[in-house]
Amino acid sequence: MNHYELTLILNPDLASKFDPYKEHFESVLSQLGFNIHYCENVGIRELAYTIGINKKGHYLIYQLDGDPSNIKELETKIKYDNSVIRHLVLKIDTVTKSDSFLTQDTKEAKKRAEERAHEAKLKAQVQQQQKPAKSETQENERSSEEKKDEGSSGEENSHNKDETTSEKNESATEEQA
Amino acid sequence: MKNLALPENFDHKNIDILKQFITETGKIIPARVSGISAPEQRKLTKAVKVARFLALIPYTDKQI
Repeated sequence: MNHYELTLILNPDLASKFDPYKEHFESVLSQLGFNIHYCENVGIRELAYTIGINKKGHYLIYQLDGDPSNIKELETKIKYDNSVIRHLVLKIDTVTKSDSFLTQDTKEAKKRAEERAHEAKLKAQVQQQQKPAKSETQENERSSEEKKDEGSSGEENSHNKDETTSEKNESATEEQA
Repeated sequence: MKNLALPENFDHKNIDILKQFITETGKIIPARVSGISAPEQRKLTKAVKVARFLALIPYTDKQI
């Protein structure tokens, strides 16, 4: 008995067929006498380079216990499976029963992609709303600027008036004294 | 020399750590540059090569 780590990259087009495929594959594993310790379903990730025509792949990582003599048989079965685009069996010292960094990374990447898509949508909406209303807003801005100018000049005038009145008052008080 | 986050074991799945030790073009940085020990560099090399095979990190930047 040895510990193994089996990584499968599946065709991302499986989609709805994924769950039945996984069940089928696990039954094959148990038929060959493999004991499944942990199954990490990483999900669909972007590949670092294209494999065949695939730009994305569905990663699945199994932590197994099994007989070395059955590995060859398992590999031939995977080899003739069209939905597996790449596979790797590694002999490992200890079995890990938790999700690796990959699952976390894939989730974060997915979130980022969703946020980007959402932002792009919002931008598109804003642009659509702005286009017809642009000419009106520009006119409004112009008129408001003119009004501001008028208002400021008016205030200045009033200030001047105040000053003159205060001067008059001062002179009046001087006369009184 | 940069401050590098060194794990106890190099895992081919932990690509954030592996990416510290590859260049922009995908080459493995030599130990004489990164400053890690020879046994560590041997483990790192194995992990990088497995990660490349599983399309987690690129072999080169010329592939699309």
